[in-house]
Amino acid sequence: MERETLAIAKDLRCAVCQNQPVSESNSDLARDMRAIIREQLEAGKSRDEIVDYFVSRYGNYVLMKPPYDETGALLWLAPVLLLVVMAIGGWVFLRNRKGVDLPPVEPLSKEDRARISAAAAAENENEAQK
Amino acid sequence: MIRRQHLLVPKNITMHSDSISLNLVELGHFAAHLAMIMALIQGLAPILARWLDEPRLSSLSVSASLLVFVLTTIGGATLIHAFVISNFSVEYVAQHSNTLLPMFYKVSALWGAHEGSLYLWVWILTLYTFIVTLRGRTRYPEHLPIILAVQGWLIVGFFGLILFLSSPFERLLPMFPQEGRDLNPILQDPGMVIHPPMLYLGYVGFSVPFAFAITALLTRWKSELWIGLTRRWALIAWGFLTVGIILGGWWAYYELGWGGYWAWDPVENASFMPWLLGTALIHSITVQERRQMLHAWNIFLVISAFALSLLGTFLVRSGVLSSVHAFSVDPGRGLYILAFMVVVLSVSFGIFMRQGRYQQARESINSMMSRESLFIWNNVLFTVACATVMLGTLYPLALDALTGSKITVGAPYFNAVVIPIFLFALLLMGIATQVPWRKARMEKLRSRLLWPSVVGLVTGAAMAIAYWPVHWTGPVGVALAAFVATTIFTDYGRALRQRRAQLAEPLARAAVKTVLGNRRHYGGMIVHLGILVMAIGFVGSGLFRSEITVAMKQGDVVQVGSERIRFDGVDAFSRSNYQTLEGKFTLLNSGRVVTPERRKYPVQEAPTTESGIDSTLLRDVYVVLAEAAGDHWAVHVYVNPLVSFVWNGGIIILLGLFLTLSTRRKSLKQSSPAPKPIETQ
Repeated sequence: MERETLAIAKDLRCAVCQNQPVSESNSDLARDMRAIIREQLEAGKSRDEIVDYFVSRYGNYVLMKPPYDETGALLWLAPVLLLVVMAIGGWVFLRNRKGVDLPPVEPLSKEDRARISAAAAAENENEAQK
Repeated sequence: MIRRQHLLVPKNITMHSDSISLNLVELGHFAAHLAMIMALIQGLAPILARWLDEPRLSSLSVSASLLVFVLTTIGGATLIHAFVISNFSVEYVAQHSNTLLPMFYKVSALWGAHEGSLYLWVWILTLYTFIVTLRGRTRYPEHLPIILAVQGWLIVGFFGLILFLSSPFERLLPMFPQEGRDLNPILQDPGMVIHPPMLYLGYVGFSVPFAFAITALLTRWKSELWIGLTRRWALIAWGFLTVGIILGGWWAYYELGWGGYWAWDPVENASFMPWLLGTALIHSITVQERRQMLHAWNIFLVISAFALSLLGTFLVRSGVLSSVHAFSVDPGRGLYILAFMVVVLSVSFGIFMRQGRYQQARESINSMMSRESLFIWNNVLFTVACATVMLGTLYPLALDALTGSKITVGAPYFNAVVIPIFLFALLLMGIATQVPWRKARMEKLRSRLLWPSVVGLVTGAAMAIAYWPVHWTGPVGVALAAFVATTIFTDYGRALRQRRAQLAEPLARAAVKTVLGNRRHYGGMIVHLGILVMAIGFVGSGLFRSEITVAMKQGDVVQVGSERIRFDGVDAFSRSNYQTLEGKFTLLNSGRVVTPERRKYPVQEAPTTESGIDSTLLRDVYVVLAEAAGDHWAVHVYVNPLVSFVWNGGIIILLGLFLTLSTRRKSLKQSSPAPKPIETQ
């Protein structure tokens, strides 16, 4: 019961607080709202019914998560649309910028490897002397 | 909302005349005006030099910028001095300090409210300008005046706001109170002493890349020459912003008493947006440096990141947000910052439109599977994340203004939208570091990613089974963190083996030398590790928190998660500037004690809560005394797993940054042309 109350309280905004859910607020209103949630749960109401009850009293404002309707749809669609647009943009950019492939790189020969090792050793000696 | 109440009828008013004949604050006020005039000269000199065809004039901006910093410092120092000596003839001091306030907080009270915060903003701006001047006189002398001119105009803009609309130098004369109102008690906390300066060092830090970018556009500065300089400044700004944001979370966690550290509050979002674009920037700037691409995009990012810093200041300081941080509501100031932002944006994007074509890419992409390509996907993700946060923050304001209907965009929205983007970013983080510049060989990449993928999948599956049922973000996040961590460690192991195969060195020496020999790379990897540690902390504290609210009387024991906690009563104490009720709770598992408090400051009506926290590496026990009813107390108890990972991750990020920034630029030391780097594959 306590856990369920908390779960519902998390998604409701304490109407008098600054951006705080009912579950986290110490205000009187939040305490009353938690009590109402508990009462309604005890009366056998479902989560949706309880949330609807608060929406009918305070409006969509009490929902921490904006609803998917005419006021909130843009919020949910915009990030997806933007991601698609940016991804296409990124793809087109990469396509257009794509130049000639590099010629295949020859594997290092034995002499090259020896030269690299020598250079590395010399560098290390320099470091040691510092 | 904590509203500032005007001192119309001060409590203890006395008929003081201004007894100090030469008041230092007046001197500071004068210095600030002079600083603004000097900044105007700093901004005008290169323009006049060009207009009058008198190039020597432009060096004026260099000397002016040094003076601006000195004068602004004098102004700031006199304000701090006024706080220290409790000079309540200064309205700002009278409003936000008190003779009983500890010295520590007297000094930091300067940035405890609107006027002083803005002063700190401009002070830091002049500090950055000062450092740019010192470094630039030998390194980029011909571009320095233009850079300083850009910064000069920014300083003028902010001083205009400070001196004419929200002056911290206002006096209450001839009658002033003998005692001040107090600093808002929730700001009397060590976190609040350092959080604002760090955050502002981050925000304002982006003004330096901004000034470089505008200068590069105006002077057609060659990209190889300015981008390396800009990168370091961008990293510094990003680092301060990161530290500032984490400290803000730390403060919220300790001080606000709701058991969490991040609430997607509009003010938090305001600092998070420039961070997101800054993160995109510090990656894409590397592409320009290494592969001569994305020039225009980087300039766009630099301008936008700075614009978002201004937006953050606007949102917090204008009072448009209903939030604990918006201490003042004054439309004049808001309008000014908005207008300032519009001017900065239109001028900089105007310059960008006209001059952008001179900053052009010269190279092309060789393969879709190259580091530069993957960095572009990084930029896509972070830009989308930033735009989403911006949308969610501004949408309720816009909807309210346009239609009057009020909705809430709270944490569940941001978690639902932004966390998946971050999970993609983690995946990309693991792959991109294994892909070389230009072109990856697929079979090599596959073999490099094989083990990390196995480790990641096994870890994620193990976690899903062990904690079932769990929200999907938990196992996916942990799996990705394990995947990335394995790529980092196998990569390091390979480099270490290669080094030891060539040089006969003891293991410890080789281990250190490998890291120090490639500081830029390993600095970045350590920053990535810090992010991973934080991610684990987010999963633990976000998904596995236990909490309970109970009424307890002395001797009661409550069980939360696996912790058993006994309430041992409440004692009253009187401290220097407040009264407190201190509860005592014993954690029966470990025997340790936490002491949450309820404090009452004489000047504030509502008591404030201090949470009692017992912190270990794996979990925090977090106790809040809510209110008394008879001999019972309402008590909130939270058990927050892995919160310490979030703070420790921040420390690791900082270490990585120091390592990255500790490199000297090679070209300055070597006279011979730098050899082509050899890809160690």
